[in-house]
Amino acid sequence: MGELKMPSRWKQDFPIPNEEDSYVTRREFTKFLGLTSVAFLIGTCAAAGRKLVKQLFPSRTDVVDIADIHEIPVGGHKLFRYPTENDPCILLRLAEDKFVAFDQRCTHLSCPVLFDSGKKQLVCPCHEGFFSAEDGRPLAGPPKRPLPQLSVITRNARVLVARKEERLA
Amino acid sequence: MSPGIQRRNRMNVVLQMVTALITAVLLGQLWLFTVTLDAMENPSASMSVATAATICSLVACAAVWVLIRFFLTAEQTETGERS
Repeated sequence: MGELKMPSRWKQDFPIPNEEDSYVTRREFTKFLGLTSVAFLIGTCAAAGRKLVKQLFPSRTDVVDIADIHEIPVGGHKLFRYPTENDPCILLRLAEDKFVAFDQRCTHLSCPVLFDSGKKQLVCPCHEGFFSAEDGRPLAGPPKRPLPQLSVITRNARVLVARKEERLA
Repeated sequence: MSPGIQRRNRMNVVLQMVTALITAVLLGQLWLFTVTLDAMENPSASMSVATAATICSLVACAAVWVLIRFFLTAEQTETGERS
């Protein structure tokens, strides 16, 4: 006669099937959605707070010497970082006595823009965005906002840049 | 079909719609989060964009919690179980 197979002792003490153990009720799922909503809110508040702090307390930067005036030919450009190492910028020489500088990050998705001296445009190769090299305004493509511009001045055959709102005496 | 079962089926449909609505609001919150991140990273973006997105996210979060309260109350009424 075959011996009747009895479940092991621990299964008798804890008679919970594996399927039920990993089962998530819709009630639990709904509560999880609530926590997700709170997480999104916290993330949004953190990002907005960081933006606010950046605006209220901009990193203190002085006027910075970027290049020698003879270093960049007319139609040429030079890449530099300002005000921190994490902020790529581009200096353009549009005419003999005309220099302009912009933040190099495209205002669409932050790809670095490149200078097309022939068309006097800054081009974002990622999504075909075009900006005017004169004032950084968007000309075509996905970007809707102008490139942030820096103040530029030439002094003693040197090119200096600063934030737009700072006065270059 | 007995009236009790009919009522339970209707309630199930309502609860599923509430869950779908909560999910839709969450997707909106995700979009608001990306808008705020973009404003944070991009110096040319206006602060008012980030402020508006934060306020909308707060309203959405409150709406989600109201919907969850409704969901739990309705389900408790239906099943008689405590949440």
